[in-house]
Amino acid sequence: MNASAELQPDARVVKQAIQWMLRLSGGADPAAQEACARWRAQRAEHELAWQRVQSLNQELRSGLQSVPGSRVALETLEKGSQRLQRRQALKLLSVVALGGSALWLSRDLGPWQRWSADYASGIGERKRFVLADGSKLQLNTDTAVDVFFAPQQRLLVLQRGEILVSTARDPARPLRVRNRDGLFEALGTRFVLRQNASDTLLSVQQGAVAIAPRRLGQTSTVAEAGQRYLVDANGTTPLAASGMDSSAWAEGLIVSRDMRLADFLAEVARYRHGHLGCDPLVADLRLSGVFRLDDTDKLLDLLPRTLPVRVMRRSDWWVTVEAHT
Amino acid sequence: MASSTLDIDQLYSDHHGWLHGWLRSRLGNAADAADLAQDTFLRVLLKQELLELRTPRAFLRTIARGLVIDHWRREELERAYLESIAHLPEAETPSAETREMLLELLESIARLLDGLKPKVRSAFLLAQCEGLPHAQVAERLGVSVRSVERYVAEALFHCYQARYAE
Repeated sequence: MNASAELQPDARVVKQAIQWMLRLSGGADPAAQEACARWRAQRAEHELAWQRVQSLNQELRSGLQSVPGSRVALETLEKGSQRLQRRQALKLLSVVALGGSALWLSRDLGPWQRWSADYASGIGERKRFVLADGSKLQLNTDTAVDVFFAPQQRLLVLQRGEILVSTARDPARPLRVRNRDGLFEALGTRFVLRQNASDTLLSVQQGAVAIAPRRLGQTSTVAEAGQRYLVDANGTTPLAASGMDSSAWAEGLIVSRDMRLADFLAEVARYRHGHLGCDPLVADLRLSGVFRLDDTDKLLDLLPRTLPVRVMRRSDWWVTVEAHT
Repeated sequence: MASSTLDIDQLYSDHHGWLHGWLRSRLGNAADAADLAQDTFLRVLLKQELLELRTPRAFLRTIARGLVIDHWRREELERAYLESIAHLPEAETPSAETREMLLELLESIARLLDGLKPKVRSAFLLAQCEGLPHAQVAERLGVSVRSVERYVAEALFHCYQARYAE
């Protein structure tokens, strides 16, 4: 892994860079320019995303405007892609909305996984399925899972996101979930597995789950009902109870008990496109309650009723929660 | 890395006939189908990752599908381009070489825009090609200025991902 690969700005940072650029493009005031400069200086990823967004925008604009003839570029691209879409639909190729081969080749394994995933949900979506053996699989926001059933095992591969599995009994075929961080074998059970950026969180609701970390030579652990474990490159660590019910999402809820506001908002952000920020002044406020996930805008509007905060919407995907003054 | 390497010869002899048939049914033309089948296997060779192929045909079809779409995109762009320069005065009509170059440029942009929702694409193109302020784009499309802002941002994000894919 080289340095530039490590510096890959994530989707949120890229969206922020785009917002900044759009904000400054309308002849911005000095205060906004200064704020943008501060944002860029904050982290190397910010600056990288900013540079890329700038050059991409510039490249597109100058490319499009260099085509001679008024409206020629616009008409060609509009007509061209409308017809392409119609043709794809006609020949049942439209599933590849992601584009042609060059795009595919330029990508790594990620999108390939996305395409081939047997079960998947988008941001803000939750889905439930019954598998061939009767086991139930629920997908939380932005999740992809492959399912491989064989005579000797039932294997789920969690590619990203979070799942709730309720296993059907089948003594001859253990049910296992594999992901980047380890292999989890259900021992008659119901459990939640959540893959974060750099680790995986297991919460066992019923029965038990055997955890075998990815790295060889590390011992496996059995997690019992009510327990939570964090699995990462360093092994398996038991966790204390958290301020949040780990399977409430399956009911479409966030249930928090005395949870830090910043943590709560980070949780809500998983279900939304765009930036959801938290003013450091209010980050440590505590929050308890039951919130519905199906409309996170409404959920945010509830916050000022219980906490001294206000929700600032700069655009649809730039929202911050700040101190109420 | 995966332990089983890809045996390209085996893959070729097992599936070439099938792939050619699949492409032919999409393209309706044996010569193009033969070309794209060849290209598909070339892409597999170029791909460095050792993929464990549990479903080789799905894999080949994914690549072939991309190539078919590239092929169609090129055809449709060319047709649309020729139509839209048809009404230009002769002096302004680009030469064959220039046309080739411009088509390549438009193709590379179309590829980045591929998969955008029509409204998003239109808003983005109006803003970029004509340099229209968002308020004017909103008026032309009959949507709110905020929607235009969202569309433009969405389109840029889409292009970013296509270019710098994770």
